[in-house]
Amino acid sequence: MQPQSEHELELAELIVESLNLEDISAADIQPEEQLFGDGLGLDSIDALELALAVTQKYAVQLRADDANIKEVFGSLRSLSAYIAANSP
Amino acid sequence: MRRSDAITNRGTDEIIIHGPDGEVSVGNFIARAAKLAAQLPDRRYVINLATDRYHFILGFCAAIIAGRCTLMPPNRLQQTVQQVAADYVDCISLGEDSIDGVERFEIDFDSLAATDSDVAIPRISSQQLCAIVFTSGSTGTPTPNHKYWETLRVGTLGNVELLMQNVTDRVNLLATVPPQHMWGLETSILIPLFCNVAVCHRTPFFPMDIADALESLPEPRILVSSPAHLDAFFASDVAQLKIEKILSATAPMSAELAKNLEQQFDAQLVEVFGCSEAGIIAKRSTAIEEPWQLSRSFAVEVNDDGTIIRAPHLPEEVILQDIIEFIDEGHFRWCGRHQDMVNIAGKRGSLADLNLRLQAIPGVVDGVIFMPNVDSKRLAALVVAPTLMPSDIVAQLRLGIEAAFLPRPIYKVLKLPRQETGKLTKKSIVDLFARTKRSRTTKNGDAADN
Repeated sequence: MQPQSEHELELAELIVESLNLEDISAADIQPEEQLFGDGLGLDSIDALELALAVTQKYAVQLRADDANIKEVFGSLRSLSAYIAANSP
Repeated sequence: MRRSDAITNRGTDEIIIHGPDGEVSVGNFIARAAKLAAQLPDRRYVINLATDRYHFILGFCAAIIAGRCTLMPPNRLQQTVQQVAADYVDCISLGEDSIDGVERFEIDFDSLAATDSDVAIPRISSQQLCAIVFTSGSTGTPTPNHKYWETLRVGTLGNVELLMQNVTDRVNLLATVPPQHMWGLETSILIPLFCNVAVCHRTPFFPMDIADALESLPEPRILVSSPAHLDAFFASDVAQLKIEKILSATAPMSAELAKNLEQQFDAQLVEVFGCSEAGIIAKRSTAIEEPWQLSRSFAVEVNDDGTIIRAPHLPEEVILQDIIEFIDEGHFRWCGRHQDMVNIAGKRGSLADLNLRLQAIPGVVDGVIFMPNVDSKRLAALVVAPTLMPSDIVAQLRLGIEAAFLPRPIYKVLKLPRQETGKLTKKSIVDLFARTKRSRTTKNGDAADN
């Protein structure tokens, strides 16, 4: 698998912790893997939980109308890039 | 006896939608829907997957005018849609995305809007099958509910009476819930056809988006949402504006969240009780009252088998898994569910079924899946399984259970607090869960094993 960057690993830990993902360890989340739907199988409630956790940790507000959630949350990599680009 | 009724009872000059390109009047909207109706391919079913609400309502009304039936899958996952398309072969799909193996019809919005002109308001036969709404239980197998025009029209008139009293001047409605879900359909698609409501085309999701979309709407505003969205919206504290009314359904809301929302947005919070089969049945002001006020559209009978809902506009009686107790003719208290049914993300599942699946996993000695408290968004599990890791248990459950019903977290314990009769009380489970959770948090939050 592709290596995670430091920021991606930190974000992966936040995902596993805030969503109580028992069967996944942070280091196992592939950077390009789909987080929602078929990939990690997360759903919209997870997206809200995760958005709150991201806001608390990085002071970044996620934004996306329903149709775009898949893009922002597409993968660990895209979410990490989004946070980096929108950090205060 | 055949009768037909107008698809809308509104004035043609009133505004029905805040579309992507501005406000659209009822007259122009109906003209566009009628034009689209004439363009739709000759198929009996339309799978409407549109996420933009203007796109959805236009496709929905065009299908009704053309005498077609709209199919509304419980989600937009490829597999789910393909399954519905396989069961209803004579279909096309509408929406932004295409699904492999399902023919998609692309709406030409510009041409529809190019020659706006008034047309006669179409009349729809009361017996026309307009929609099939699918609900998915814990196994994820969709169950169809047939919606005839009579059911949708008369049901909506009842909902307007119940939820929109005193609306004379136009109100502007924003919904965070998808139009394909019965809650979103009844409020954001059907109410605008029968009440002076203009609905926003957007479906905002994150708190900032909800704030944006609300700010784009003139007052007075109505927000249609769910406890999950509203909880995040309140907690993020991103908006300071007035919301006339907030309508919540799909899962129970706590009185505390209801009070917080009322205070923060100077709003009236109305919680709605209903189900996909019967629609909206009752409402309450959760911040100040516990009993539910029954909609005048329904007659309810409580007997040993459960709660039976009847209404002239429903094709058949609906049996609820909920146990209710009437205080007076028009008000009832909710006392729990038969078979311990749970509602997660607008989906209903049976705890008994989930527990059977848990206990059937090889290596699981004993275990229970439960809802920790009224505000929980997820089920949790306590499991006795000396040889298994929580991850093994999730992997096994995943094989037969829809993701929304997977318990998180799963805590391993030495034994469950069963009484001599083998019974588990909710209190003893919740206490053990709280104790286990506390002891783990003090161990640096290590949730991987124990």
